[in-house]
Amino acid sequence: MKTASELNFGERAIISDVDNSHPSFRRLLEIGFTPGQEIELVNSSAFNDPLAFSLRGTLIAIRKHEADCIILT
Amino acid sequence: MSTTSNEKLHLITLVGPPNSGKTTLFNQLSGKNFKTVNYPGSTVEYSTSKIQSKFGIDADLLDSPGIISLNPNSPDEEISVNSLYNHPEFGSPHLLITTVDVSQISRHLLLCKQLIESGFNIIVALTMNDILAKKGFEVDENKLAEELGCGVIKVDGRTGRGIDKLLTCVKPKLNDDVIDEIKVAHKIFENISKEKLLNLYKEIERIEKNVIVEIRNNNFSNLLQANEKLKILNPTLKYGSNRPDARTLKIDKYLLSRRWGLVFFFLIMSVTFTSIFWIANPFMDLVDKLFGYLSTSAAGIFGYTWYSNLIADGIISGTGSVLVFLPQILILFLILGLLEDTGYLARGAMLIDKPLSKIGLNGKSFVPMLSGFACAIPAILAARTISNRRERLLTIFIIPLMSCSARLPVYTLLIAFLTPADKALLAGIALAVVYLSSILGSIVVAAFINKFNKKIINAVDSSSFILELPAYRVPKIKNVIRNSFENAKQYIYRAGPIILVLSIAIWFLTYFPNHSPEVNTKGLSQKEVVQLIKAERLSTSYAADLGKVIQPVMSPLGMDWRIGVSLIAAFAAREVFVSSLAMIFKVTDEDNLQSSILFAMKDAVNEETGKPLFTVPTIVGLIVFFIFAMQCLSTVAVSKKETGGWRIPILQIIIFTSTAYIFSLITVNFLRFVGF
Repeated sequence: MKTASELNFGERAIISDVDNSHPSFRRLLEIGFTPGQEIELVNSSAFNDPLAFSLRGTLIAIRKHEADCIILT
Repeated sequence: MSTTSNEKLHLITLVGPPNSGKTTLFNQLSGKNFKTVNYPGSTVEYSTSKIQSKFGIDADLLDSPGIISLNPNSPDEEISVNSLYNHPEFGSPHLLITTVDVSQISRHLLLCKQLIESGFNIIVALTMNDILAKKGFEVDENKLAEELGCGVIKVDGRTGRGIDKLLTCVKPKLNDDVIDEIKVAHKIFENISKEKLLNLYKEIERIEKNVIVEIRNNNFSNLLQANEKLKILNPTLKYGSNRPDARTLKIDKYLLSRRWGLVFFFLIMSVTFTSIFWIANPFMDLVDKLFGYLSTSAAGIFGYTWYSNLIADGIISGTGSVLVFLPQILILFLILGLLEDTGYLARGAMLIDKPLSKIGLNGKSFVPMLSGFACAIPAILAARTISNRRERLLTIFIIPLMSCSARLPVYTLLIAFLTPADKALLAGIALAVVYLSSILGSIVVAAFINKFNKKIINAVDSSSFILELPAYRVPKIKNVIRNSFENAKQYIYRAGPIILVLSIAIWFLTYFPNHSPEVNTKGLSQKEVVQLIKAERLSTSYAADLGKVIQPVMSPLGMDWRIGVSLIAAFAAREVFVSSLAMIFKVTDEDNLQSSILFAMKDAVNEETGKPLFTVPTIVGLIVFFIFAMQCLSTVAVSKKETGGWRIPILQIIIFTSTAYIFSLITVNFLRFVGF
């Protein structure tokens, strides 16, 4: 099972699910990380965390452990 | 509907996600240029005004903070969501105007749909149409209106295009008959289930497919080509409309590059800080000289009476000490505003999130901490954007350690004492060292407190960092400048009266009860007599009595009661230290406040030991004291309000002030020991 934190730079993938048990899961859904959406890992900070994803026409930065609960197809 | 609300104006509230062009629209409608910032969630305060009279609508307009959904995720959002239903001051809105950035329409329709389903009376304003057009697409507003069941108008907040159309749509909605029928909006989205959210998004995606259309015009072939390119680059994407802004991606290749990102970050921050000092310096000198001149002239006009003294020493010098760092605050807000408006600050927060999370903070602590270098009060308020309670409290906790601009006059004076006047560079380096130590100090304190988190902060919470990186934009200089002036004005209103009152209080303590002492004037010049009277008056004043009480605390630092009194005065507001020294050492009749204080300081003798009072150890000790001590009454008040109790402000006072005293003690005695 691959998660969004395992993407390479420039790699695109479709979200299959967001882990309900994660405390930020609802905010991730609200901000647009929903199943069926395509995301691309665009950037990261120099410390490799947080990661910046392209999603629904904008860029969203989230921490690695948050990206971990975004499950890809 | 009650009779009173008939007399009240109709209320229109602007709602929208962060960065949706809401505030720009507000500026267009109100004619009053207000804050338009890029950092998500930074419009914590509400802006309100009437709709410009030229539009012919008599209604109040409220600009609410940006929210992502009706399910709040931070104290900031909770306030804005709750006040949508019923604002404590303005009541329930008759109409909501919801801004939707069409370049990210699917994300922004979420809030819009939630508002409609909650039963609000809404009109949708579509923004950023030009950005979508660049990608070769546009929104069919009629179709969207049909889908949503409410008015949908395209507007351009920058040029004002579409505003008239928006208002013709607003007018009929404000008829009293219509308003009477409005259903009351209900909170149905708090703790919304995952299933419901996903269904909502599915519905939105269906709408998105329906309303986004390719632009067909003269440049058709061009755009088609561009579009083809996008499809080639991006074969799985059905819609080129869903790519982020191309220019932004290009700029981010450099500014967020993993190799150079941090280099750019530190470069931008150093340029910010050095320019604050370099640019502000001449203006500060000017203010300083002006008030020195005013004070001297006032003393000249009114002669040697108690009220002349009150005006010259108490009121004019007091006002001067407030206004002297106004240039600095203005420039800091200006640069912060520019960085915010371009979209860089959100990226700064992202770059610095990891190291800050190591000491229990959050990338979102970055902007409040940075603002703390101007003034702790707006900085503590800015911490509201941090959704995690523990991180928010910790950020508020360490903000007073950021070297606020009120400390700058103190540092400037003390460093000027240490460095020769002709070596400005040396003074600059010394100041940089002071700032670096304050940053280092706050890191150590944050790490320490994070370790004993449960005992001090008393809140456990899971940490998160989810932040939109807005598209880069050319900052709207006019808005940034107005915003800086607004902030500076607020600062003066908030800090000014306190500082002025305290200056007068200190004047009182140093002038009474023995205001016209008898001295032996034999063989002395007029000037010497005046000096003698002043010295005699002071040493028998209330301040002297007070100072002698704290003498035992000051002696180990090699300081006497006069510095002690100034330090007590500085607890009200740090910058009072300088004006208090000026008063205690009776500096009035010179052109330049700072150089005359320096002169008086060099002459001052410790009344206990008879040795010079201001030496390298005592000066450095004072600087160390100011780096750590919690000395600002307004900060304590705001900290109490924002943390919801006395626990944190009292801990701040105890921990920071005892640290300041102990470190100062160590510094003074160490320096003496090594022979300074």
